[in-house]
Formats: sequence, structure tokens, C-alpha cells
Amino acid sequence: MRLWHIFVKSMREQARDIGVLFLTLIFAPLFVLLYWLWIPSGSTAYTVLVLDQDDGVQMADGSSWSAAAEAIQAIEGVTYADGKPLLVTRAVDGQDEGKAALKDRKGVVLITFSEDFSRSVQAVREGDQSTSVPIIFGGDLTNPYYPIAAILATGAVDGYIQQATGRQPLAQYIEQPLGASAARTEFEVYVPGLLVMGAILLIFQATMAITREVEAGTLRRLQITRMNAFELLGGMSATLALVGAAATILTFLTAQALGFRSQGPLWVAVLIGVVTTFSTIGIGLLMACFAKNVAQAFVIANFPLALLMFFSGAIFPIPRLTLFTVAGRGIALNDLLPPAHAVVALNKIFTLGAGLGEVLYELAALLLLSILYFAIGVWLFQRMHLRAE
Amino acid sequence: MSEIVLRVEKLTKRYGSLVAVNNLSMEVREGEVFGFLGPNGAGKTTSISMMCGLLQPDSGRVLVHGAPIAGGSADVRARVGVCPQEVTLWGKLTCIEQLVFIGQMYGVAGRIARERGERLLEELDLIEKRNKQAHTLSGGMKRRLNLAMALVHNPDIVVLDEAEAGLDPQSRVRVREYIQSLARSKTVILTTHNMDEAERIADRVAIIDHGRLLVVDTPEVLKNSIGQGDVVEIVLGEGIERTRCSASLQERLGEQTTVTAANGTLTIHARDAVNLLPAIIEELNRAGLKPAGVHLRESTLEDVFIHLTGRRLRE
Repeated sequence: MRLWHIFVKSMREQARDIGVLFLTLIFAPLFVLLYWLWIPSGSTAYTVLVLDQDDGVQMADGSSWSAAAEAIQAIEGVTYADGKPLLVTRAVDGQDEGKAALKDRKGVVLITFSEDFSRSVQAVREGDQSTSVPIIFGGDLTNPYYPIAAILATGAVDGYIQQATGRQPLAQYIEQPLGASAARTEFEVYVPGLLVMGAILLIFQATMAITREVEAGTLRRLQITRMNAFELLGGMSATLALVGAAATILTFLTAQALGFRSQGPLWVAVLIGVVTTFSTIGIGLLMACFAKNVAQAFVIANFPLALLMFFSGAIFPIPRLTLFTVAGRGIALNDLLPPAHAVVALNKIFTLGAGLGEVLYELAALLLLSILYFAIGVWLFQRMHLRAE
Repeated sequence: MSEIVLRVEKLTKRYGSLVAVNNLSMEVREGEVFGFLGPNGAGKTTSISMMCGLLQPDSGRVLVHGAPIAGGSADVRARVGVCPQEVTLWGKLTCIEQLVFIGQMYGVAGRIARERGERLLEELDLIEKRNKQAHTLSGGMKRRLNLAMALVHNPDIVVLDEAEAGLDPQSRVRVREYIQSLARSKTVILTTHNMDEAERIADRVAIIDHGRLLVVDTPEVLKNSIGQGDVVEIVLGEGIERTRCSASLQERLGEQTTVTAANGTLTIHARDAVNLLPAIIEELNRAGLKPAGVHLRESTLEDVFIHLTGRRLRE
């Protein structure tokens, strides 16, 4: 019953702190909106810088023919499934201009067609098997976009050369996309990460809400009542979970309104999102045990925040460090981080069309971690804040 | 003899090398207002915190109605209500909401907590603010609400740590009257720096310094113990050889009086000081001193306090 009273009290405080409530609710939806505005087409188009030094070939009828111009057209023909361009080309006049553009990241890859590019293509076309076609690729190899653009452009130019020369490739590569992955826009690919990030950021709310009781001295008042740590943290967590759930649903709705499509049932994704907020709150409680004031709580909460963001795969993929195996399933160090399961589950639902049955493992892991962190938080909080000093 | 409701036995608390409370023992009786006095840093708040179970003593124990409070049941803790020195309220809750909430945390049913809360707000002149959030209240109102928070679960013992601190005269009088009214049904332990307040409302007073209990008795007994009733203060000019003068006065008035000199003033504690005035004036004339003023008053608890704890500033 006391848990309920604490929940009601926290709800009142939350509802009366309109500014903080508003920011909490709109944070993740705003991120989704900003991301959508950043990529109006829904996906990134990679800029390929082209230095066309090809002299071309004079044809028998007097016209001139340029293989480089056709190869550039082939590059521009690489599109997403919905027809939006994947590669866009930009002509440069020399190596220096090309390199400057690469340095400024105004382009991702620089392709140089040499003077004899057309002659080489024609020679191969006329049966000279000893001729090779020279094309130079260059770029900043540390730029994460480089390998994507380089591979796509290579594929396009290679395809053009095969078609222009009639030379058959040794192997025929057939791409078989998993689920609906081929049809996903980049915006759609990033939505799960943004959802998880929204849940992760609740860690500040959780840590600071509880530390506020410590700092204001109200916890000392509560310390001598009949209340225990489970009731206090349970009541406050319930409020935060409700706010987190509302924020998650708002984020989904915003994403959907902006064209996000889920292959699997949306309610399962919402469930995963809500349970992820529970686990984040659990970690927030744990952090609150070590803070004596709100400023300290803010600093302390940054530590798990960074771990959750960068080592769970929510922001970028991270290798799994398997610790042991249970029932044939490898348990990795990052499995201790709830968002790691959320990212996998949301990807399965959104892209691969998975239902509840296919994400049961992730859901169970999230629930287990939520309970684990909450239980440790209660135990520690009782020892560190509610026991007579 | 009233029942002993709170017994402190050989209580000691250390913080590193500092002994905050040193072997403190005392008893508080049912229905009395017990003043707990001491200079800043004397160990009052530490003692109070141990008495209500917020702090674990290094040795010794506190018994409430015979049951230990430290590590004891919530029922024992609930028999004590604490009004801390700092105002500790939930700023976003209204006055009545916080009273109901804290009552519920003590296990009081919501309806009863609300009734008691309304009554407390009425008694402490806060009823008009019942639906105002605590952060909108003035400092005095917050202090009164802070006091009400200690009472909503109807404890037997109420511990008030500097309950009058920061109050304007009107609020101070109101709180003082309220504490006196409480004493009819509850035991009140109050710490204060206000000697006047303690003298007016405390049935018994304990004075501690450096964590040690110096005295515990009624204000009357304590006042008589140091100055036999009256105080004569003779204001002298600066630069006068007060030490020589005080020594000759002490010799003339005998051992039944005490003569001290500080800050250009001679202070004489004596019984029936009026009858001693001619002798005092004569002695001053003989010393060639012309006082700027002579004041005669009854000795106060403050005299006792200064006599026992000295004039040296603390903290």
C-alpha cells in the first residue's frame, strides 16, 4: 500500500514539474523528427567524385564515344529499392580538387578514369584479352562511408564494363536480402537505435529523482517511518516507467507519422521499448545509491549511460565477447546491458517481421535484467541510504 | 513520579578522532518538556539523531518505552516524531498532501491522516494554505509545516531540533504556545539556542558540551546552583584595571558570590544582591572607579549556560 502512496506522490510531483515532464516526453520523438529532417529522402546518398580524363574514341561514323561517360551513368543508376539515388556523382577538374573535396568530406570516394579508358574498353570489346581497364579509386579509408560508396561504385563500374565488353564474369553474385532489409530506408534503419537511446536517457531521470530525496533531506524524514527501500524505489520506478512508456509510445507514433514501417507487430515493439525503460530505471536506481546530491547523480549517471550507448550496439555495432554458453546460446559481456537485447529484438520486429514468439529470449533477458538491477538497487539503497548511519 | 519514556544509556558516537557524543546518559519523563541545550558543535543534533534512530551509536543505547530504537522495530520508531532543524518538505506537494503522505508512510490510514493533517494546519494557522504547494510558502510557514509533519502520526515523544530557528516573533510565539499545548499530551524534547525559550517552556533542561552532559535539572535549580538568584552587572569604561577591582570585590563580598570581569563589565552573581549594592558601590569608590551603569536582574538560564560552557566562540 505504501508503494502505491509513493507512486501517487511521485506522479503528483512529476505532473507539477511540467517543464521536465515535457522534455522527457518529447526528447526521443524530437530526435526522430530531427533525424527525418536531416535525411529528407529517408536515406543517405553517397557522393562519388569523378575525375574524367578519358580521351574517348573516334568512331567510324565520325562521332566520338566515351566509355567513362557511360560508366558514370552506371554509377548514377545505383538506387535504393524505392528508386531514390544511392550514389550521386560530382565532377572534379583535377586530382588536387578531388583530394580537397575528400578532405572536406564533400565526397566519399574519388574515381579517376584515365585517358585510355575508352580505348581499353574498346580493345577488350574487340577481343584483346590481354588489355586491362585502368580505374583508380581513392578516399579517406577511415571515413565509415568510404567502403560503402567504394563497393557500390565498383559494382556499378564493373557491371558496366562487363556489359560494354561482353566479358562474362567468373562468378555470378546473387544478393538475397534478409526479411525486408532491402526495402528499409536509412531513416528506418536508425529508428530502433533512437528508440533505445530514448529509453537509455531515462537513466538521468531515475538517478536524479531519487537523489533529489536524499539532497532535500526528505529521505531522512522517510527513513524513520515504516517505509522500506522496496516501497520507495518501487513507487518511484512505477512513475518513471509510466513516463518512459508514454515517451516510447510517442516516439513510435512520431516515427510512424514520418513514414516508418514495421514489418512485425508494433505492439511487440512497444512492449520491448517499455521493458527497456524498466531496465534503464533499474540501473538508474543502482546509480542513485552512490549519489548524495543531484549534481553528483548527474555525473555518476554518465558512466552507465556511456556503457549502455556505446557497448550495447544501440549506436553502432560492437563485437560480442562471449563469456560462457547456456543451452547452446553464447552469453556475452554486453548481454548484461539491457539495450543490447532491445536492439536485437527491435531489429527482428521492424525489419525481419518477427512476432512475440521470436523475441521471447530478448524479452525474457530484458525482464530478468530489469528485476536484477532493481533488486540490487533496493538492497544497496537500503544499506547506503535507509540504514541508520 | 512520571514514567520514563526515553532512556539514554552511555551513548557514544565518534567521527574519526572526534568524539561527538561522549558517554551520554539521561532520562526523559512522560509529559515533560525537556530542553536539550549546548553550544554549536556540542553534540546536540548527533544525540537527537541517535534518539530517533537515524544514527547508530558506537556504544550505548536509547530505549523508548523500554525498547531499543536502534535496530528496533518500526513500531518503536513510530513512537517518536522528529522535527528536524532544516526544513524538509516536498516542494511540489501541497500542505495537506504532505501531511497525508507522511502519515501514510507511518501506517496511518489516509482518512485519519487527512483529518489529523487538517487539524494540525488549523492549530498552526496554516489552514488557508492547505492546498498551496510547499515551495510557495514563506519561511515561517514552512517551519510550522515542518513541525506539523512530526506530529501527524500522533507520536508519544516529539523531538524538536531548533523548532523556533528563523521564525519571526509572531510565529515564534505561536510555535512556543503550540509546544506548550503539546506537553499536556506528549513528551517534548527540544534543542535550542534560545535560552529564553528553554527557560519559559522547559520543565527540565540538560546542558551538554563537547559531547558530555554537564547538568540536567529544572531551570530554577540550575539558576540557583550558579548564582544564588541575582546578577549585578556594572559597566566600566575600557582600560580600567578590572582584574584588581574584581579581586578586591570578591574579597569584600565573600565566597557566596562570584565576580567575573569581561568586555568592560563586572558581573556579580549573588543572593539578595540589593542588600550588597552599598558595599559594592563603596568598593568601587575606594578603587576610584566610576561605573557607567549598574544593572540588577535575576539570573537566567543563559547565565547558567555561559557559566558552564564559557564565553569562547564555537564553530
